[in-house]
Amino acid sequence: MIVGAGSSTSAHRRDEYLQAARIAIDPDRVRVEVDLTAGIAVADAVLAGIDADRDGAISSSEAQAYAGVVRQAVRLDVDAAPISAALVSSAFPDVAALRGGEGPIRVVLLASLPPLGPGRHQIRYRNAHRADIGVYLANALVPASDRVAINGQQRDAAQRELIVDYELRPSRPGSGALPFAASLGVAVLVLGALWWRRRSA
Amino acid sequence: MRSLLKLSAIVPVGVVVTLTATGLAQRPAPAAKAPSAADATARIVKAAQAVSGSLDDAGRARLQFAFDSTQKTNWSNLPSGIYERHSLRMGDLTPPQKAAVTTLLQTALSADGYRKVNEIVRGDEVLRNGGPGGGGGGRVNFGEAEYYLAFIGTPSMTTPWMLQFGGHHLAINLTMAGTAASMAPSLPAAQPAKYTFEGKEIRPLGRENDKAFELINALDAGQRSQAILGSTVADLVLGPGNDGKVIQPEGLKVSAMTPAQQTMLLGIVREWAGIMNDAFAEPRMAEIRADLPQTWFAWSGPTTNGSAAYFRIQGPTLVIEYAPQRSVDHIHTIYRDPTNDYGAKIAAK
Repeated sequence: MIVGAGSSTSAHRRDEYLQAARIAIDPDRVRVEVDLTAGIAVADAVLAGIDADRDGAISSSEAQAYAGVVRQAVRLDVDAAPISAALVSSAFPDVAALRGGEGPIRVVLLASLPPLGPGRHQIRYRNAHRADIGVYLANALVPASDRVAINGQQRDAAQRELIVDYELRPSRPGSGALPFAASLGVAVLVLGALWWRRRSA
Repeated sequence: MRSLLKLSAIVPVGVVVTLTATGLAQRPAPAAKAPSAADATARIVKAAQAVSGSLDDAGRARLQFAFDSTQKTNWSNLPSGIYERHSLRMGDLTPPQKAAVTTLLQTALSADGYRKVNEIVRGDEVLRNGGPGGGGGGRVNFGEAEYYLAFIGTPSMTTPWMLQFGGHHLAINLTMAGTAASMAPSLPAAQPAKYTFEGKEIRPLGRENDKAFELINALDAGQRSQAILGSTVADLVLGPGNDGKVIQPEGLKVSAMTPAQQTMLLGIVREWAGIMNDAFAEPRMAEIRADLPQTWFAWSGPTTNGSAAYFRIQGPTLVIEYAPQRSVDHIHTIYRDPTNDYGAKIAAK
C-alpha cells in the first residue's frame, strides 16, 4: 500500500518558461548560450510566438526570427557600455517535443569586446524575454583563457540579470612581443644585407 | 531423541566456530578492509552477464549498445511519454528477468544506494496511482514498468563499459573500467519526496535534505552570508543536456569551514558518491576529501528545514546540485564529475 503525501505539485515545470544562460568570457569576446524550456502549460503560448504561419511546424525562417527576438531581449554591457551581440546559432526541438515540455530551444550569441586594458572589468547580462512567464538562471562559465579570472557574480533575485566582475590579465610576454621582435630582427637583417650590397658595389 | 538431534546439529557448528575463532585469534588483528574493487567488479560483471543470459535475442538487442554509442547521453529526468528511452524496459520483463536485474542493481550499488533507487522508483508508483503530481496530459507514463536498463559496452573485467539504469526522476550512469568506476553523471530525484509505504514514511532524498539544513545552520553568520546566494535558483544549472560545462564556483569555500563542518559536508557528499558499491565509493570519497580546499558550498532559499532550498557543492572533480521544484515534495538533483563524466578519465587509461 503506497500513499502519497505533500502538497499538490506538477510532475514538471508546467507554467513557466525556464531560460538558462551560460556566459563565457574571453579576453576579446563574450559568448552567451541560452537554453529556453517551456513548461507544458505555456508551450502553446511560446509556440504561438514561433510558428508565425500557424502550420504546426517550425520553419528555418521562423526559427531564425524567434532567435532574433531572443537576441533583442538580451542586453550585454561591458564596463557599463552596451555591446552588440550577434546570433551565432539556434537549435529548436520538434513541435511535439516543445509541446511536451521537452526542449530546449538553444540560442547562442556572440559579442566582440572593445580593446580592454589589463585590470578589473565588468560584464552585465540581462534577459527580458517573456518576463510574463519566464524563470531565469544565469551563470558564468569557468573561463577558457587563463587571462580571465572571475572575481564574483551578482544577480538580481530572479536571475534575469547577472553582473560578472573579472580581472583581465596582461597577455604573456611572448604571445605578442616575440613575433614583433622576430619581425624587427628580419627587418634589420634585410636592411643590413642591402647596405652591405650597396657598399660592396 | 529430539535433544540429541539438536545437539548433533549444534556441535559441528560449534566446532567450526571454535576453530575459526582460534585461528583468527592467532593471526594479527586485520585492519577493517574495504571490499575489494576487483571482487566487486567480478560480481557486477557476473550479475550483468546473468541479466544478458536471461534474455532472448530481441531483449539483448534492447539491452546492449556499443561503448561509443550516443546511448550514453540518452537519459533524462522526464517520464516516458515525454522523453523516449530506447533500452530494455522493466515492464517487458518476466519475473526471473526482473529478479536478475534486481540482483545486478543490488550488486552494483551500495545497500543505501539500492534503497534510494528503489524508493525513487516506488515513488513513481505513487504518481502512477494518481498521487500528487501525477497526470501529465494523458501521454505520460509513470510507474515501476517505465524504468530502463542498458549496457553500453560489453560487461567486462578489463575493458570499459557502462551500466545505465533510469526513468522518471532517475538516471544512474555507472561506468566501469577494470577496477575503477565513475557514477557521473547521475540524477537521483524524487516526487513525491515523502510518501507512505506499508505504514512507513519514505523520503528517498530525506537524508540529503536534512544533512544540508544541518550544515547551513551550523555555519556562523559570516560563513552563512558567504554561502547564501542572493537569488532564486529555479532548477538545476547543470542538469541533463549540460555535459562538459563547468560553471564558476560560488558561495563559501570549504577551507573556511571548521573541521566539524567539513565532516558534515562530506556526509552530504556521501549521499551521492555512496550510491555506487562501497568498493568504488571509498576511493571516490578520498578523492573528494583531498579536493576539499578547492571545494565550495552555495545555498539559495530559506534555512529552516521544511522549506524549499537549493544547494550546490562544487569542487575540481565534483558538482552536486539539489534543486526543489517550487516545492519540498518535488526535488531534482545532479551528481557530476567534470573530469570523469561517463568515465572519461578512467576509460582513457
